Amino acid sequence: MIRWLAGRLAQALVTLALVTIITFFLMRLAPGDPMAPVGDRQMSEREVLALRAIYGLDQPLYRQFTAYVSGLLHGDLGTSFSQRRPVATVVAERLPATLLLGGCVLFINFTLGVWLGARQAVRRGSRFDHLASTLSLSGYAMPSFWLGMLLIWLFAIHFKVLPASGMRDLFAAELPPARRALDLLRHLVLPVTTLSLVTLAITMRHQRSAMLEVLRLDYVRTARAKGLPERVVLRRHAWRNAIFPTVTLLGLWLPVIATGAVFVEAVFSWPGLGSLAQDAIGNRDYPLLMGTSMLTSTAVVIGGLLADLGYLLLDPRLHRR
Amino acid sequence: MLLMRRFVPAWLCALVLFSPPLAAQDGGARGTLVILLGGEATSPIPTLLQANFANQDVADQLFLRLARLGPKMETSGDKDFVPELARSWSRRDSLTLVFELDPRARWHDGVPVTAQDVVFTVQRTLEPGVDVQHATLFQYVESVSAEGDHRVVFRFKRWYPEQFYDAVFHVQPLPSHLVAQIPATGLAASDYARHPVGDGPFRWVRREPGQLIELAANDQFFLGKPGLSRLVFRFVGDQEARNAQLLSGEADATGNILPVSNVDRFRQNPELRIIPVPSLTIGYLLFNQRDRADTSRPHPILADPAVRRALTLAIDRRRIIQSVFGPGTDIPVGPVSLLLSVRDTTIKPLPFDVATARSLLRSHGWEDHDGDGILDRDGHPLALTMNFPGTATILRLVALQVQEQLRQFGVKVDAVPLSPGDFMQRSRAGNFDLQMSAVTQDPTPSGIRQSWTCGGIGGSNFARYCNPLVDSLIDAAVTGRSDRRARWRRAIAALNDDAPAIFLYTPTLLAVVHSRFRNVNLRPPSLWQDVWRWSVAPGRELDRDRRP
Repeated sequence: MIRWLAGRLAQALVTLALVTIITFFLMRLAPGDPMAPVGDRQMSEREVLALRAIYGLDQPLYRQFTAYVSGLLHGDLGTSFSQRRPVATVVAERLPATLLLGGCVLFINFTLGVWLGARQAVRRGSRFDHLASTLSLSGYAMPSFWLGMLLIWLFAIHFKVLPASGMRDLFAAELPPARRALDLLRHLVLPVTTLSLVTLAITMRHQRSAMLEVLRLDYVRTARAKGLPERVVLRRHAWRNAIFPTVTLLGLWLPVIATGAVFVEAVFSWPGLGSLAQDAIGNRDYPLLMGTSMLTSTAVVIGGLLADLGYLLLDPRLHRR
Repeated sequence: MLLMRRFVPAWLCALVLFSPPLAAQDGGARGTLVILLGGEATSPIPTLLQANFANQDVADQLFLRLARLGPKMETSGDKDFVPELARSWSRRDSLTLVFELDPRARWHDGVPVTAQDVVFTVQRTLEPGVDVQHATLFQYVESVSAEGDHRVVFRFKRWYPEQFYDAVFHVQPLPSHLVAQIPATGLAASDYARHPVGDGPFRWVRREPGQLIELAANDQFFLGKPGLSRLVFRFVGDQEARNAQLLSGEADATGNILPVSNVDRFRQNPELRIIPVPSLTIGYLLFNQRDRADTSRPHPILADPAVRRALTLAIDRRRIIQSVFGPGTDIPVGPVSLLLSVRDTTIKPLPFDVATARSLLRSHGWEDHDGDGILDRDGHPLALTMNFPGTATILRLVALQVQEQLRQFGVKVDAVPLSPGDFMQRSRAGNFDLQMSAVTQDPTPSGIRQSWTCGGIGGSNFARYCNPLVDSLIDAAVTGRSDRRARWRRAIAALNDDAPAIFLYTPTLLAVVHSRFRNVNLRPPSLWQDVWRWSVAPGRELDRDRRP
């Protein structure tokens, strides 16, 4: 087990190193001048040259890369061009909002999505199955920003029951903890609903087909034949095996959490990493873009690792191997 | 009567500028104003602004200038400047300006503002690598010194009409007692940057990254007590999200809701007022003068002034303005926005005249010889690429209309949407035929020199436009001691005639402000600088206005 874990960790480090190299050079090769969009005022060539020197962009690419890697090994992600602050600080400021939004979406996917998908499989061909498929696929087919705007118009502008955007009320800091939590929950409703409606279909489809596959297997028939109640057959025998593909899928959702959903964050002014990465791309803010990319890659690697660990926990046979 | 009509608006502006806020006069309601900005203010501190408009908007509430620009936006001399941190000024000789600071001015921590603060800030700005963008604006400042606690002396290297503007406008003084011990390179990440202390009408309360900055009234503000108790800047990048926040009542104001297709939604809401605000913005379609493949050669099509004029005549700019901007927006004559002091309405833009455009091109060999709907000459079609920033809604709308109008005229235009970084990189490299651009000009007309003279090539003159006659007229206008308006008129007329670009629009922006606010005055270049004079009408307070 420890050897397996060490091997996976080594693999993860190699992946991260490769991602760093590829991202760094791809970013530099992409069209766009990082010093061009700094500020809303046009800069003279002299100003641009001075700024390039300040940020080391006048150095050869290999020197820029070695300087970046050296900083990285010392825990320094660099300084944002557009904010002039350490990238680690800027990313850390936005991470909680992203984790909260992504965590809620993941939770809904893992609970409601899995439950609905399994139930669809059990009631295959029923009206419930058709209705759930139609609704979830409709959500999946809708562009997230459009769905978000629709929900804002309905619940924030027309009925005025939920906030249109942002993460907290202006005066949330003055509220007692319980009401502060409630305020946060109100702000979460629309973005989480939007993102969940868009992603739920995938989880449901995965879970449905995995469950259908398992329900056809002999051991499920045997369980039924020996007289076990249907609830036990489904939960203990069928579902526990049908969950594996979904666990893998949920591991792969982690990057979505890490970067947030760019469109949803934009529509709801959610102050997460997605909008930060979007700004960094627009500004060609290399260090900030590298910081968010590194975080995404780390999330992918950790997601894969957690999925494997999940397999181990759920399937005792893998323990023995 | 004519005299009265000309003077009444200026008189009213002066009344608004010099009068204390209504709240201070009648003890009326205080309140909370939530302003939506399109970008995030990450470092609203002088020397760290990085020409980011959101940073400047917040900094304008926290920090004062020595003097502020008046309603005429006249940057030459000192006649149109209003005292702010400096209560008076004088000239010792043609190279020396002396400012007397108002002794009542205090930093938010109670320490008096001194001449040393001004000297420190200019010196800090000029340090290599600190504030590159503003340092170049001080290029003619020879020295700045303090004489006692309240007298600042600016000495210039040479005389020019905008010495005063350069001294007072670009950089707001910082508190040297708090900032001097922080290394310039560490200021952005310092405790001071997290809780800046200024001398303006509002003081710092908190920042929520990616969301908002909250300021509170500085009740000790020496120019008068602010009429609002709280000012919140919310950062909302997406225009639809900004619209939603205003319509749902979560925010009170934003600087612009254009394009005009948005207006109806706001008109239907009686709680919101739409306020037209003339701007310093100008939009134009730039003609590259050099071959995009080899900038040492003239552009095979656009180097010919007759072609440029014909393309300008072929565009119905009024129609574009009506569909995107609505009333108040004008066709600029040359690169002169609505508010630039040298704007001269006696010069007329080239008209929309398709017949003249066609005959002009025909006389230069451009005709549709093969009947494919595209003009051609010597077997080469009149085909051009047009770059535009794909993320800018208004530029995209305008670009597509220009493309369609030129297609109908017989010019094939390939419209290429680009990311902002890619767009600027291609601009600098001269890698375009046509380029749709919009800039917000500095209040000074001397900025025109950077983009439209031979000297600007390699800098902001991306089209590599070079006309020695225009150069000499602009130089004469920038440096001339007398008859400034006439000099500018000649320069702009010559530039307009040469058609280095199609000057498409200079917009009147449509700001939105909640109707409960009184004494509302929005003025570029610093749109929100007068909000400390705003107040909430009694009896119209919302919950957020009643908060202590």
